[in-house]
Amino acid sequence: MKETLASLLSRRLLLVTGKGGTGKTRIAAALGVLAARRGVRTVVVELGDSDVLPELLPPSRGQRAAERGREPQPVALNLFTLRLVPEEALLEYLELQLRVRTLARAIVGNAGFHRFLDAAPGWRELLTLGKLWHLASLEDSAGAPRWPLVVVDAPATGHGLSLLSVPSVVLDTVRMGPLRRNTDRVQALMTDAARTLVLPVTLPEELPVNETLELRARVRELGVGLGPVLANGIEPALGLDQPERALAALERVPRGQAPSPLAEPDVVGAAARHRLARAAMQRGFLAVLARRLDEAPVELPWLAGGVDDPPGVQALADALGGALA
Amino acid sequence: MKPDRWLDCRVLVTVGTGGVGKTTIAAVLGLEAARAGKRALVMTIDPARRLADALGTGPLDHEAREVPRERLQALGVPDGGALAALMLDTKRTFDELVERLAPTPEVRERIFANPIYRNLSDALAGSREYSATEKLLQVIGNGRYDLVVLDTPPAAHALDFLDAPRRLSGFLDGQFLKLLLHPAAVVGRASLRLFRSGSEFVLRALERVTGLEFLTAISEFLLAFEELLAGFGERAREVARLLRDPSCGFVLVAGPDLSQAKRAESFWERLQSEGIHLVGLVLNRVHPWPVAGDPPAEDPAAAERAQRWLAAALAAADPGLDAGNAAAALVSAARAQAALARRDAAVRERLERALPLEGDAFRAVPLFADDVHAIEGLARIAREIFGAPRGP
Repeated sequence: MKETLASLLSRRLLLVTGKGGTGKTRIAAALGVLAARRGVRTVVVELGDSDVLPELLPPSRGQRAAERGREPQPVALNLFTLRLVPEEALLEYLELQLRVRTLARAIVGNAGFHRFLDAAPGWRELLTLGKLWHLASLEDSAGAPRWPLVVVDAPATGHGLSLLSVPSVVLDTVRMGPLRRNTDRVQALMTDAARTLVLPVTLPEELPVNETLELRARVRELGVGLGPVLANGIEPALGLDQPERALAALERVPRGQAPSPLAEPDVVGAAARHRLARAAMQRGFLAVLARRLDEAPVELPWLAGGVDDPPGVQALADALGGALA
Repeated sequence: MKPDRWLDCRVLVTVGTGGVGKTTIAAVLGLEAARAGKRALVMTIDPARRLADALGTGPLDHEAREVPRERLQALGVPDGGALAALMLDTKRTFDELVERLAPTPEVRERIFANPIYRNLSDALAGSREYSATEKLLQVIGNGRYDLVVLDTPPAAHALDFLDAPRRLSGFLDGQFLKLLLHPAAVVGRASLRLFRSGSEFVLRALERVTGLEFLTAISEFLLAFEELLAGFGERAREVARLLRDPSCGFVLVAGPDLSQAKRAESFWERLQSEGIHLVGLVLNRVHPWPVAGDPPAEDPAAAERAQRWLAAALAAADPGLDAGNAAAALVSAARAQAALARRDAAVRERLERALPLEGDAFRAVPLFADDVHAIEGLARIAREIFGAPRGP
């Protein structure tokens, strides 16, 4: 089924992942902006290691450090961000389960427990998913979801897959008890494609494309739903109608007479050839993707202004909305 | 340090965030070492198939594969020089470690059978990073290579692997762990009473949260590992020493945008505080300005004049050409290139100021129009970093 913007935004949990450097964080932020514009109350979640969302989606009022990591921070109408730190999620989980705050704090404050956590496998991933499940499950007093959409800037491919595989490991190991019950619920959310989708982000270059194809295969094995592949950084067409003829004519233009370097034949020729070659390479890898995916990837333009601030994110959201329409 | 001198190290480690081209740069360093007559090994984490094809090694895996002699000769590698590559496999490295360190076959089998080990040895905190350094010790120990280039995992914190040995040897200490390591303590509340202090309390509370079964599985996992831990800790200390040895140099690889520059700066600080030797920085995929001199500042009026002049010049050169279209497209390409070249130069200046590296330890590699995983691409990057190739 071809996903549309509306069908994507009807999900509860969107996990944006892909090779490092492909623009996951920015796309997650732009998705949040798009959803909020459409009136879907959305929280964009950034995971522990990363801390760039405040630059892309600055909170609308000064946030207190103590609040971060637990309560989503308002950014704009219908738009919130959260930096999910596993240690904080652990404390919250223990508080919820034990119902005694001081007890939870005593556990987390225990030095030996700390050393154990430092080395112990899997708990960060498990608690990260647990917190995402919790966000998606919270209801307001009328019984409606508090966060109809949770968009996650998930870790890059390898760590992202570890994140997705942790519930099945726990379910293999643990047959009963509270951890089993909680993990069952998490896994039910993760493997329900009507609620949860993984959105792979890639660039039209060899390594990111290969990694995306492998990622999709692994996500499928884990039983998690896959959304469309988002191919980022597509450079704009040069708009040169007769490239070969124009470049040939350029060879006959005298050197050193242009009023500006911007008309100097060696400069414009090199710039144009560079752009044409980049475009050919990008088209080639987009074709590889289309062939291997059985559908064209969603193409997102390279944005000259960069996507390092709120206006950049708005521009990317416009582009994403257009590409998914 | 001048790039040729980088190759005098016994170990070179490429670090940087994901997507900046660490693997490619690691391969270039290995190739250049081979051209300098050394026996080099590149250890990568990236399954870059075309890189393997370009090197002619066949698919890379956990064992070192030699680049064929004739391919090396074509690249100007002299007789003494050699290049091999391998792809790190975390699970395999751990399996090997368990096989080597397990005191008895029973312990070994118990570890291999543990569901947490089977599924999560990959996710064990820092295990990818740890296995990279573990494999490094192995290949250095065999003395077959003059230089080993280690391409580090693209973790969000790409320097996590400096912590990994410490974290894993942290396994050894702590009362909490000792409690967990003896299932009896977990299973029987009576025996819990034997332990005083907060740890007992913590464990009992945790049991309420996770259920007994999970704690038991984890404690079995750790128990199985306990017998390995002594050897583990020793290896971890060896790795820590090796990475800080003057014969081990780190090469930072960064992309030319501001957020990557900021991250490169924080890496640098971290490396310094860890006592690591940073020998150079490669700023990869810089937009080149095609002629000598700086790219011009943005100036719409100048761009318009340029376009008018170029349209007239093109019309004179080829009256049949749509010179208006061609001039508009060509000037806009030059303008975009100038903007990117200016941005990249600003990032470069910022990094040069922030990182107290000697000028020639700083190398910029241009963004090539095509993907650079083929061997010619590696040679091209090598020229950018090391200058003209040495004699044939």
